[in-house]
Amino acid sequence: MVLEQMTPIERLTAYGKGQPIDRLPCVPIVGNTAARVIGAKVSDFKGNGKLIAKAQIEAYKLFRYDIIRVFTDLYTQAEAMGAKIYYPYDETAYLEAPAIEDVSEIDSLSPADPYKDGNLPHHLEAMKIAVDAVGKEVTVTGALTCPFTNASFLVGAEKLVRLTLKEPEKVHKLCELSLETNLRYAKAIIDAGCTPSLTDAMSSCTVISPKQFKEFSYPYLKKLIEYIHSRGKSDTLHICGKTNRIWDLMVEAGADCISIDNDADLLEAKKTVGAKVRLMGNVRPSEVMLEGTEDTVRHATIECIKKAYDNPKGYIVASGCSLPTETPFKNIHAMMDTVREIGYPVNSRILESGEM
Amino acid sequence: MSVSKEELFKKLSDAVVNMEEEETVILSNQAIVEKYDAYEVIDKGLTDGMERAGKLFEEEEYFIPELLMCSDAMYAGMDVLKPHLKKDDEGDKYKVVIGVVQGDTHDIGKNLVKIMLETSGFEVVDLGRDIPPLQFVEKAKEIDAKIIALSTLMTTTMDGMAEVINILNQQEIREKFKVMVGGGPISQGFAEKIGADGYSLNAAEAVRLARKLVGGAA
Repeated sequence: MVLEQMTPIERLTAYGKGQPIDRLPCVPIVGNTAARVIGAKVSDFKGNGKLIAKAQIEAYKLFRYDIIRVFTDLYTQAEAMGAKIYYPYDETAYLEAPAIEDVSEIDSLSPADPYKDGNLPHHLEAMKIAVDAVGKEVTVTGALTCPFTNASFLVGAEKLVRLTLKEPEKVHKLCELSLETNLRYAKAIIDAGCTPSLTDAMSSCTVISPKQFKEFSYPYLKKLIEYIHSRGKSDTLHICGKTNRIWDLMVEAGADCISIDNDADLLEAKKTVGAKVRLMGNVRPSEVMLEGTEDTVRHATIECIKKAYDNPKGYIVASGCSLPTETPFKNIHAMMDTVREIGYPVNSRILESGEM
Repeated sequence: MSVSKEELFKKLSDAVVNMEEEETVILSNQAIVEKYDAYEVIDKGLTDGMERAGKLFEEEEYFIPELLMCSDAMYAGMDVLKPHLKKDDEGDKYKVVIGVVQGDTHDIGKNLVKIMLETSGFEVVDLGRDIPPLQFVEKAKEIDAKIIALSTLMTTTMDGMAEVINILNQQEIREKFKVMVGGGPISQGFAEKIGADGYSLNAAEAVRLARKLVGGAA
């Protein structure tokens, strides 16, 4: 292993100021793979902040990536608002039933209390423990599912997207309720010494149109990010799937960094919004990180770096989305090692030849 | 006021594309009153509209909300027209068993594929979501399906797709069915690795793939 000269916080701070750094920041987005690092079952994380913290801290120490993200699944806030989540023994949890069966029950919903409801208190505990343990050297973030996506877990995705055309005011109501939960949770995350890490999977153009994004996602994202900024924190906004037609709006909503997945192109992102926003992405989580070899990972990582290392507002090497739980450790190490060996300023010989 | 047959078909097609469910029902009823052939009305009106909607979806003019609303209109029209179909109208359709594999409840993608396959003349049996591998095989055997279509949005459930193929192999009936896979984390490489017959990126491609797998037009 290459010895590193800088801590993640030193690296990201210097990078932001345009000062010398040893390598590009790198974030293979580790989620429940952290369970594998400590030999825990994924379902053990339910209601156990200490274990989530232990897993995330150990995973960070093993791979030495640049941002810790306390995450188990996308449903924590929806669960705290009444959605039913199913916890398989050793796999990522999933939505079993939305909080309400029918939109007529909308008035029965209320925003969650992050200190009381669902698993939110345990996630907050995990964040606190992680910050106490390693917060001086690495940024600890807490995953936050944004309004439109959270709304889809409250009423069901298919119902929600139909409502965007049939009863838009109901969608706004669900997004407002979700935003209120988001704001409370964001406050709690920041009070715990962490930064919210924003995910808005359903706001993708793979699902809704840019016009619908502007109407139903953008205004709420903007309010959420305004709050985060008011607390002196910067934010990363991840949206899965196709996003090229909404990059401008993601930036306008206030995103400091946009994390894009492999249905979007880093080179195109650099050309269109790179002067305004930092980019993060987008090695394929499933095809490359889960199923590929170390060699596949190295080539895919180099391809991404080639496209975006000179992005005007900076670039974080990352997977396109959260890594599958069973992603082999050697592939995560391969991604980190590739970034280390390329260094910064980037070694253009490696970038061009693909050889170390 | 009476309209010509072609005009009515055009209006029906437009109503589907424009997501006008009530209008589609009214026009479908009108077609019955005019004693037009129900099969032709479905084919040249409703299906035509849904195919246009599918094209707009591929061109990224329409997105999932629009496509779902178009299909609502189409199915509402179908409900009116179906009782009027003659017995032999349905013909021998290729049968497809579709579902989301166990451990996953994301079913929008699967529903879109189902809609587009039905629009294209396949008979689709939808098992729903969170379906154990064996159930796909049992149902496919039961209805003598040609295709088993598996969907997932989560990487955790991809192995369930391979399991369906394992079961087919174990029961020595792999050759009887074509298996197609799709969903967020799925790739052509994954499809090949587990021995599936095909992968498609989206609902429109799924139709082309299904047609190819059954050897031509559905």
